Amino acid sequence: MRTIRLYVRLLGAHLRSLLEYESDFWIMMVGTVIMQVVNVVFLAAIFAKVPHINGWSFWAVVAMFALVAIAEGVGSLFFEGMWNLAWQINQGDLDYMMVRPYPIVLQVSSMQIGVNGISNIVTGGLMLGFAIAHLGIDWTVGRIAGGVIVLLSAIAVKVAINLATNSVSFWMQSPSPLFAFAVHQVGDLARFPLSIYPLALKAALGFALPFAFVSFFPVTFVLDTGDAWVGLLTPVVAAYCLAVAWFIFSRGLRRYESAGN
Amino acid sequence: MALVEARQLTKVFRRPDKDPGMRGAVKHLFVRRFVDKTAVDHVDLSIDAGEAVAYVGPNGAGKSTTVKLLSGILQPTSGEVRIDGLSPQKDRIAVSHRIGVLFGQRTQLWWDLPVSESLAVLRDVYGIDHGTYRRRMARFEEVLELGEVLPVLGRKLSLGQRMRADLAAALLHAPPVVYLDEPTIGLDLAVKDRVRQFFRTVRDEGTTVMLTSHDLGDIEGFCRRLVIIDEGRIIFDGDLEAVKDAFARERILNVQTETVVPLEAARAALPGAAIEAGETPLHLGVRFDRFTMTAGHVVSALAPLANLVDFNVDEPSIEDVIRRVYSGELVLQP
Repeated sequence: MRTIRLYVRLLGAHLRSLLEYESDFWIMMVGTVIMQVVNVVFLAAIFAKVPHINGWSFWAVVAMFALVAIAEGVGSLFFEGMWNLAWQINQGDLDYMMVRPYPIVLQVSSMQIGVNGISNIVTGGLMLGFAIAHLGIDWTVGRIAGGVIVLLSAIAVKVAINLATNSVSFWMQSPSPLFAFAVHQVGDLARFPLSIYPLALKAALGFALPFAFVSFFPVTFVLDTGDAWVGLLTPVVAAYCLAVAWFIFSRGLRRYESAGN
Repeated sequence: MALVEARQLTKVFRRPDKDPGMRGAVKHLFVRRFVDKTAVDHVDLSIDAGEAVAYVGPNGAGKSTTVKLLSGILQPTSGEVRIDGLSPQKDRIAVSHRIGVLFGQRTQLWWDLPVSESLAVLRDVYGIDHGTYRRRMARFEEVLELGEVLPVLGRKLSLGQRMRADLAAALLHAPPVVYLDEPTIGLDLAVKDRVRQFFRTVRDEGTTVMLTSHDLGDIEGFCRRLVIIDEGRIIFDGDLEAVKDAFARERILNVQTETVVPLEAARAALPGAAIEAGETPLHLGVRFDRFTMTAGHVVSALAPLANLVDFNVDEPSIEDVIRRVYSGELVLQP
């Protein structure tokens, strides 16, 4: 509990200074909303030509887009600092964090707030709301509870992949997180149904970098179509991803060499 | 058991061995060669509670690396560290409450927050209650004149302001062990004096302090114990005053005489001392060992030769002694 309270405190400290640059704040917020709207317009244009993609309706794909947007939004709003890890390793900026009584990984991830996360969460939430309304889901108590757990796990998968790939910077020594960014781009593929991809990509997105558990499998679970049971594995995948990410981060930390004066 | 203990502490860095220029960089992409550099080499060190230790050495001798090993920032290649019986690498959180670290070259303040806010965040990180926090802040205000610095944003601090704020940040949780790594680097004399005064109050309160510096002015009048490191090895660990006694025994008496005294005449009057010509023929320098001769003896030996107009005595500082150790001129036996 104290850990979480302190996390909010560390993040919140940056919020105030961020609001000092009001114009930046609004540009970020509006820019992100426009990007999401463009995504949906693009999707609608595709579905104007074909009624289904591989059996998936427009609104089912909107739900997948929505989950990616929400997961990314949570990542930027609460864990944006991870993207600075490469720079901090390169500059030796972890020194002081390592002598403070608070988990280092949380000190790193709370170093920055990505306010554009708010608009990603809001637009993603709206997209998800509309999609659910149009999909005519048979809501039982079990499905609601399962849906919430799967949604939270999907976000955790995304955050864990971010942490794992950024932690690779401990081995790279480069000042920018090129590897993590490349993987992040791959994650965009998860906006579309996994079933449209060839086997190799399916394996990559389902196992190696399980982005399919950020959007595709959670949606199949809620819709109760296809291999819906796989969606139920999302919490397990999330736990696994977090464990792997934590392992990579702590191994990396042992390699940390600070920086010479 | 000592409060701070290092046994056979060793750190080897692996550095890419690149030929100079673009060609070397490209070549390294394909043929990866590395060289090992031993920054800290089998260091044994033990510091008792309440002790103040100066850890000195030339640039690149391994001072900062030792501090980073002792605070758990770096993993030792071999050997081990114990702070109050705990390993800073394994019991990181427990040790972090017991140590305070200041790296003079690096700030721990948040660059986009005012100092007061940075310190308040640290208060919450260390779980310091508000009453204790207010009391400590009042003390920092008194000794470091922190008040004027508090509303300033981290990135707008001058070096002197930054160092004072960073000192407060490092000592906020009243750690029993404090490492100060180059704490006066780049400061002007007035701030330096104030900061040094602050170190003394910290020491007098019973805090164990390890002070790393290559400004020897920091250590004179601050600690009894001197540890000298060079090329990763400890080459001396002992009493600062003893070093001064043993190696700073030389004195130079500068005299000004009314009439010219020939050097040969002075040498004849003072066997056992070295006589040097001064800036004018009326000036003489007499170099002598203060254990075999006194200044009074020198003056009375010269008095029959001419009237003495003026004289003064030069005392070598610990700075000169350590400089001679670095250059290999002096070999200290602990």
